[in-house]
Amino acid sequence: MASVAQRETPVGRGDEAALVDAARGGDRDAAEALLGLHELLVFRTCRRLLPAGEDVEAAVQETFLRALKNLNRFTGEGSFGAWIVAIAVNLCRDRLRRRRLVPFLPLEVREEDGTDPLGAVPSSDPNPERVAMARQAVRQMRAEVSRLPRRQQEVFALRFFVGLDLEGIATALGVDVGTVKTHLHRAVHRVRVAVEEARP
Amino acid sequence: MSILHLNDDELNLAVLGDDLPAEAAAHLGECLICRKRRDTFLALAEQARGADPDEATRARVREGALAAWGAPRQRHPMRWLAAAAAMIVVSLLPLVLHRKVEPPALNAETVLLEVNQVLERDPLSALASEEVVDTVVPVSYQSGERSVS
Repeated sequence: MASVAQRETPVGRGDEAALVDAARGGDRDAAEALLGLHELLVFRTCRRLLPAGEDVEAAVQETFLRALKNLNRFTGEGSFGAWIVAIAVNLCRDRLRRRRLVPFLPLEVREEDGTDPLGAVPSSDPNPERVAMARQAVRQMRAEVSRLPRRQQEVFALRFFVGLDLEGIATALGVDVGTVKTHLHRAVHRVRVAVEEARP
Repeated sequence: MSILHLNDDELNLAVLGDDLPAEAAAHLGECLICRKRRDTFLALAEQARGADPDEATRARVREGALAAWGAPRQRHPMRWLAAAAAMIVVSLLPLVLHRKVEPPALNAETVLLEVNQVLERDPLSALASEEVVDTVVPVSYQSGERSVS
């Protein structure tokens, strides 16, 4: 499965490096293009790692600002996407720590802000029972993810909800790929078994 | 086709897109049940991701960050207060650092001993300045070379 990061950043590494250099020099257009390439990664990260009720947009904006102010710290060894997701992860951790909140994934359908987590489940299916079961399965998965240990939850979210590959997750979390694999396998096993057992 | 379905570990590997043992990979290619278990999990994860923000929201957040990044630094009233406090501290530094040096306590016995020694060597020094002493009593006299007057 191609990673979302790869699919959403068709710009090559060379072009991206040029954008980074230009943004370091204060080029606003380059900075905007750079943010535009990776903004979905940051949105998804903040939305999945912050609890319901947290201001996701504010967190994303703060992530962008931190990234722009610290462009000189980006060495270019990894991808810019993983680097900016790392900033987002740290920001989410800071917020959770500061407010002493227990992270969990929103389960409620929130149609008013356009972030309905179950919006992908088709509601036009002629069989309402099937729709209800599908929504229940999605709720079940999100609930199981929210019950994972924090590191497993982060790894699972970055892999399946944000779309980073193993190297990207390792960079974002500051761990090695082997550690990511270990956490990911445990998380997948736990969530998959729970979801399958809950199915009728 | 092997009739044994994928075990948990193999199914996890399949979900993650990792390499499977050859026999398991061959089974997955032919077994609808195992493929459905894998695909169902992936589809659920896709749906659980939720909808992405619309372009208007993304643009608004992006613009907000860029504006904060490029905006000139705003002068905050607290900065003036801090500057004034710093000036006061700097101006008070000499006063704080200046300490009156207390003269060391004199040891009367030692002083008197020194005075006695000086007077023994040269009684006139107690009565006149060094210049006067030199004038009245030349150095040659002090050194024992008495001049013939």
